[in-house]
Amino acid sequence: MGNIEELVEALAQDATKVQPAPHPFRLSLRWLAGATAYIVLSLVISGLRPDLMAKFHEPWFVAEIICLVGILAASSSGAAVLVFPDLHQMRRVVFAPAVLLALFVVIIFFSWHADSPPAPLPQHSYQCTISIALFSILPAAWIFYSMRKFASTHCHLAGSIALLYAFSIGALWLRLHEQNDSVMHVIQWHYIPMVGFGIIGLWVGKVLLKW
Amino acid sequence: MAEKTENFETLMKLSLDGDTRAYTILLQETARFLRPFLAKRLNSSVEVDDLLQEILLSIHKARHTYDGNRPYKPWAYAIAKFRLQDHLRVYYADHLRHAVELSEVENDLQESVTKTDITYESISGEVQKLPAKQAAILQMMHQEGYTAKEVAEKTGMKESAVKVAAHRAYKALRKKLER
Repeated sequence: MGNIEELVEALAQDATKVQPAPHPFRLSLRWLAGATAYIVLSLVISGLRPDLMAKFHEPWFVAEIICLVGILAASSSGAAVLVFPDLHQMRRVVFAPAVLLALFVVIIFFSWHADSPPAPLPQHSYQCTISIALFSILPAAWIFYSMRKFASTHCHLAGSIALLYAFSIGALWLRLHEQNDSVMHVIQWHYIPMVGFGIIGLWVGKVLLKW
Repeated sequence: MAEKTENFETLMKLSLDGDTRAYTILLQETARFLRPFLAKRLNSSVEVDDLLQEILLSIHKARHTYDGNRPYKPWAYAIAKFRLQDHLRVYYADHLRHAVELSEVENDLQESVTKTDITYESISGEVQKLPAKQAAILQMMHQEGYTAKEVAEKTGMKESAVKVAAHRAYKALRKKLER
């Protein structure tokens, strides 16, 4: 008991003025703004797919892109909430990425169903996964660096959602850059790896977000 | 109760502004409401004290994640639970590391346990000297004939916890009887 009193006294002496962390939605907006700037800049450098305007007349492609943006926004909000020990008492926001992912699966299923006869598979395969992974390194580093400044009590989940955020940026960029109509290829080499890296994030979060 | 909750938020707001007095009171009150929470979940008061210190340090470290605009207690409990889980994970991992496989010690066990002259009744005096929980478990298992599962149901403990407690009791008894 005496030790506790001593500790309280010592901590109180150390109590300088502290700037409270921003609201999770502000934090999330900051990360979304960063992601938008990164994607736009990259597309300016790497170029948009030549048939993008035509693709925007295909409802399933539009739905896919909108949902991918939704996953990005939801994972950004989820990660922002998860950096607070009490989830900023907004527990429901954490489930948003899962809801969006479920919707995404449905959209991709219908997109695959509508792809008849199936578009030819491109020549390349795993190169897309590597491109997405390389493209996602910077956002992943940034979000983990930002998250480490806070105090997550759900390190595994926070890591998973942070990597989902980073890899959805990569997937979005590649979908807007690469001229490729094969839904099968996109599922196999873009989206399954994106979710896979999200799962790896469970472990990364445990390592990087421990405090 | 509502007034007290309000006080926590106000105290934290003042603390974030650098008010030392408010921060001292807040930490003292936090320690007060967290102590029973930890005492329910840990065996020794030394462990409770150690973990409480760690939690207070974590609260200090994470105080910037609290803005004073939402209830304070859920925030503090979230940190306490996080540190408690960490503590229990390390504790059990440590115990598992030092656990002895039954197959490793079976050769050292007495040849025939059924032929031994030791009965529960003959050592009941020693059993009663054990901690109350262990003594009660041994009595139920060896005098009243309950299985570990039944003891668990009767006492509201987990079956594994009953087995662990019984194992510790056997170990302690063996030490005493070997003297």
